[in-house]
Amino acid sequence: MMALFSKTSGSFREAKGDLRLEAVTKKFGDFTAVDDLSLTVPRGSFFALLGPSGCGKTTNLRMIAGLEQPSQGRILIGDTDLTGSRPYERPVNTVFQSYALFPHLTVRDNVAFGPKRRGLPDAMEKADAALKLVQMGHLAGRKPPQLSGGQQQRVALARALVNEPEVLLLDEPLGALDLKLRREMQVELKRIQTRVGLTFIHVTHDQEEAMTMADTIAVMNKGRIEQMGTPASLYDLPRTAFVARFLGQANMFEAEVVSSTADTLTLERAGHHFTLPRKRAAVETGTVLYGVRPEKLFLSEKAPTDLPSRMVTLGPGRIIDVSFTGVSTNYIVDVPGFGAASAFEQNLDVDPVHNRPGDECWLSWDQGHAFTVATETAEASTP
Amino acid sequence: MTALAQAQIANTTAVEGDHRVKGRRITPYLLLIPGLLWLVMFFVVPMVQLAIVSIESKFPGYPGYYYLDWNVFNYANALSEFWPQLLRSFLFAGLATIMAFLIGYPLAYAMAFKAGRWRNVMMICVVAPFFTSFILRTIAWRQILADEGPIASTLNALHLLPGGHITETWVAVVAGLTYNFLPFMTLPIYSSLERVDPKVIEAGGDLYANGLTTFRRVTLPMSMPGVLAGTLMTFIPAAGDYVNADLLGSDIDTKMVGNVIESQFFRVPGGFPTAAALSFTLMAIILLMLFAYTRRFGTEELL
Amino acid sequence: MSSRPAPTDPTVRALVSMVQSGLTRRRMLGLGGGAAAAALLAACAPPTPPAAGKTDVVLPKDLSATDKVINWANWTAYLDVDDATKTHPTLEAFQKATGITVNYSEDIDDNNTYFNKIAPQLREKQAIGRDLFVFTDWMANRVLREGLAQPLDLIQMPHAPNLLPSLREVSFDPGRRYSLPWQGGFGGIGYNKNKLGRDLKNVSDLWAPDLKGKVVVLSEFRDTAGLIMQANGVDISGSFTKAQVQTAFEEVSKHIADGSIRRVKGNSYLEDLKSGNAIAGIVWSGDLATLKAETEDDSWTFVLPESGGTIWTDNMMIPITSAHRSNTMKLMDYYYQPEVAAQVAAYVNYICPVLGAQEELAKTDATTAANPFIFPTDTFLTEQKVQAFRALTSDEDADYSTLWSKVLGE
Repeated sequence: MMALFSKTSGSFREAKGDLRLEAVTKKFGDFTAVDDLSLTVPRGSFFALLGPSGCGKTTNLRMIAGLEQPSQGRILIGDTDLTGSRPYERPVNTVFQSYALFPHLTVRDNVAFGPKRRGLPDAMEKADAALKLVQMGHLAGRKPPQLSGGQQQRVALARALVNEPEVLLLDEPLGALDLKLRREMQVELKRIQTRVGLTFIHVTHDQEEAMTMADTIAVMNKGRIEQMGTPASLYDLPRTAFVARFLGQANMFEAEVVSSTADTLTLERAGHHFTLPRKRAAVETGTVLYGVRPEKLFLSEKAPTDLPSRMVTLGPGRIIDVSFTGVSTNYIVDVPGFGAASAFEQNLDVDPVHNRPGDECWLSWDQGHAFTVATETAEASTP
Repeated sequence: MTALAQAQIANTTAVEGDHRVKGRRITPYLLLIPGLLWLVMFFVVPMVQLAIVSIESKFPGYPGYYYLDWNVFNYANALSEFWPQLLRSFLFAGLATIMAFLIGYPLAYAMAFKAGRWRNVMMICVVAPFFTSFILRTIAWRQILADEGPIASTLNALHLLPGGHITETWVAVVAGLTYNFLPFMTLPIYSSLERVDPKVIEAGGDLYANGLTTFRRVTLPMSMPGVLAGTLMTFIPAAGDYVNADLLGSDIDTKMVGNVIESQFFRVPGGFPTAAALSFTLMAIILLMLFAYTRRFGTEELL
Repeated sequence: MSSRPAPTDPTVRALVSMVQSGLTRRRMLGLGGGAAAAALLAACAPPTPPAAGKTDVVLPKDLSATDKVINWANWTAYLDVDDATKTHPTLEAFQKATGITVNYSEDIDDNNTYFNKIAPQLREKQAIGRDLFVFTDWMANRVLREGLAQPLDLIQMPHAPNLLPSLREVSFDPGRRYSLPWQGGFGGIGYNKNKLGRDLKNVSDLWAPDLKGKVVVLSEFRDTAGLIMQANGVDISGSFTKAQVQTAFEEVSKHIADGSIRRVKGNSYLEDLKSGNAIAGIVWSGDLATLKAETEDDSWTFVLPESGGTIWTDNMMIPITSAHRSNTMKLMDYYYQPEVAAQVAAYVNYICPVLGAQEELAKTDATTAANPFIFPTDTFLTEQKVQAFRALTSDEDADYSTLWSKVLGE
C-alpha cells in the first residue's frame, strides 16, 4: 500500500535534449493515424504541428505525451527512449484543448498538482510563481468553474509550465477563445516561451496562429508530414499542392514542362509560356501544377509593356468579382484557358478603386515568386 | 390562473399599477400551494400523529386503544429494550453501504469509462431488478442461498460453511441489503462519473500522478457528489429496512429495528407507542447522521 | 378495567380534548396504508370503552336487496379452486343461483396483521369495504369483545343447524350469535419421512441432533408453545399459568439459540420445507396436504404428538359496518349445505365443520372422507388428546404477545 500511494512516481525519467520521433506509426484498427513519421524538434524551439482535423497531429501529440503508445517506431528526448513509458514518467506536460482543469481544486492547487506529485517541497511557491508568470496570481484561490475561458487557459498553461518540462505540448490551446483574446494569447505564449526557453510543441489547424508563433512548422496531412520549415520558407516555397493551399491561398493551374536549362524550366498552357527558376520547382517534368500567390499578382487595365524579362504576363482576362477588405482589394479574374485567378492589390493609391466586374485586365508577376508542385492526381498515386 | 396571467402581463409590459406588482409577488406562493398541501397532508400530519402516538399510553384492558398522557418514558423504554436491534440496524446498513460502494463504484466506473457500446446493456442490467417487486427479489435470494442451492451446497461440500447454512445469518441479511440497494449506489455514482471529462483524468496522468493517485486525487473527488448521494440513498433505506432481516435473517441475532417496529405495530397488542417512539428515534438518529455527514463531505465542498 | 382512567392533570385534560377535536379532520384523511396511516388512526384519545356500546349498536342500513354484492376477505388457499379455469366452483355456483356478485379476496395472511389493518376503522364505525372476514378463535374473541361484528339472523339461515355439535358452544360466542366456523385445523408435527428416514412422535423428537437447523416452527404461539406446553403436561384448554407459558417460550428460545430451530414463521414456513432448508417442523394439518400436492411427494407426513395436538377454528363474521348482511348470511348458509361443504373440504383438507358433509364426500371420495384430520370423530379427538388453546384475556394476550416477540428477537 505504501508504494501504491507514494507521492512520487519512482520511474520518472529525467531526460534532456532534442525531441526525436523515429519512424513512428500509429494505427487504430485499419485506420492509420500517423504513418512512418520521423521528426526532430531542437531543444528550446517553438514548433508547430499544423494540419486539418484528422491529419494525425493530435495523435502525434498524444504519443509524445504518452497518452497513446505508437504501433511502431521510437520516441526519444535526447538519448532517452521514452517509448512505452507512462505519461507520468515523462518530462512532458500538456496544455489540453479543453484545459482539463481539476474542477474540485483551487487554481493554486491545480497548478501545484504536478510539483506535489513529484514530491517537491516548494510546490506551492512554484505554483504561485507560475501563476504570476501567466498573470493569474490574484485568482489563485478561485475554482476553475468560476473563471472565464481566457483565465482557464492561463491556468492550464501555468499548470503545465510549473513543472518545467523538457517538452511542453499545446493541443489547440487557443481554439476556444474569441479572436481578440486569441491574438493576445498568441503574443503572450510566444513571450513566455522565449522567457522559459522550453521546447513548445503546438498543435493547431490555424495556419495564421502557427505562422505567428512557431520557429518551425510541420504541415501534416493524412498521417504524414508534407513539409517542414520556417513559416516564411513554407509560405514562399510550398513543395506540395496541399501545403500551398493550406498555408494561405495560391492560384494554381496545370501546365506541361516543355523545355529546361540548367537554371530554369519553361512550362506551357493554352499557348502561354511560363519560365521559372529550377530551384523553385518541386517537379521538373511532365504535367505539373504551376502556382503563384494572389498578392504577388499585379493587375493592369491595359496590356503591360516594357516589363523586365523576369516578369510574366497573362491576359486579357475579365474581372468577375471585386471585394474591398481595407488593406487590399481582392479581385477574381477570369482568364480564358486558365479559369479564375485571385489577385490582391494593396490599396496604395489615393484614388478610390475604379475597376468594376466586367472590365478587361491583364495579370503580371515576377517569375521568382512562382513555384511548381506535383499535381494532386500524381501525388495521390505516389505510395 | 388570473394571478399567472397578471404575472405575465407584469413581466411583459411596463409595470404601471400596484396590483400588477402584487400579482407578481404572490405567484410563486400560489405555485407552491399544491406541493405544500401534499406535504402537509402526507408528511406533516402523519408526522404529528406519529409524534403524538409515541407519547401515548395503552388503555389497560383494551388493546388497540390509547390515550395521551405525555408518556416520554416510551422513548426510554423502547431504547433500553431495543437498543441492540437499533445498533444492529446501523451496523448492517453501514456494512451494506460499504459493500454496495465497493461493488457499485467499480461498476459505475466501468459503465462510465470502459463500457463503450455495452454501456446501455449494463445500464439495463443495473436497473432491471427495479421491474420486479422488492419482496419477490428477496425471496429469490432465499432460493439462491438455500441449503440445497448452488452456493450453500458448494460451500458445504468444501466444509467452508461453519453453521451449515447461509440463510438465517447476518451475512445473508447484509448481502440482501447490499443487493437490494446496489442500484441506489451505482446510479448516482455513474451519473457523476459520466460528467467527468476523460481529459481531466488524462491530465492527472500527464501531471505525474500514476493511475491510483489520479483516481484518489482526481476521479474520486470529482465523483464525490455521486458517492455522497449513493451512500445516503443506500444507508437510509437500509437502516429502516425489515424485509431482508425478515426473509433472510434468523430469529436471534439479525433482527433490525424495522422488524421491531413492524412487530410492535402489527403483532404486539398495545405496541403502537413503542413502535412510534422507535420510528422517531430512528428518524432522529438518521437526521443527525445525515447532518454530520453532509457537514463533513457537503456538496459546497464539491464544485 | 371497564372505565377509562380520566386524566387528572388539567393541562393534560385540555390536551386530550384538543386531540379529540382533531378527530374529524383525521377521519377525512382516510387510510393511506402503511405505518403512518396506522399511526394516524391510532392517535386517538381514550374512546368510549367498547364493551359498553355492544348492546346499543346501530347497524348500518342493509342494502342487500338493491346492491347484490358481497365482499369476502379470506385466507390464502382456503377455498376450492378449479385448476383449469382458476375460478372457485362453489362460489360460481352461488353467484349463478342467487345473482349476487361475490368479490373474493385473499386479504388475510395473519390474524394480527389483518386485524390491526382494519380495526382502527371499525372502531370508528367506518366502512372497510368488506362484508365477511374470517378470524381464528382467539382473534374472533377480540373482534367480538370489541363489538366489531354484526349479530347473525339465524332464522334466515336454515342450514346453520348443520354445524357440528362440538363447535356450537364456544366461550367467545355463546350460542353462535355472531360467528359461524369456516374451517378448522390441527397444529402438529410435519416432516418428510423419506429425507428423515424415521418417524417423529413427539415435540422433543424435533430437537434431535440430525435435525439441527432443519426445523421450522409456526410464529403462532398458540400452536408452537401450545404443543410444547402439552408435552410438558399442561392443559392448554384450562387455567394454565403465565409461568407455564414462559417455560414453553424459553424452550423455544433455547432451541432457536442452539440452532435447532431454523426459523419461526407464519405463512412462509412452507417455502423452507419446499426448498429443503427444513425437513420438519410444527405445522398446520392442511398445509401439509397442500405441500404434498405441490411437491408431488407423498412422504410429507402430518402427525399429532403423543402428548397431544392443538385444534383451532377459523370463524366467519360480518364486520360491524357491512351494508350487505342479508346477502352475506345467504352465502354463509350456502356453505353449510353438506354437498357444498364437502366440495370445499375435499380441496382445502382442513377440518370441515358441517354435519353430513362427510357422507356427501364419501359418495365420491371415500379416502378423503375417512381422513380424521378433515372429519375427526370425538373418539379421535379424545384419543389424540387434541385441545384448543384457551381464550386469553386481553391482558394475557398483550403480555404473551410481547414475551413472544422477544423470543423472535423483536
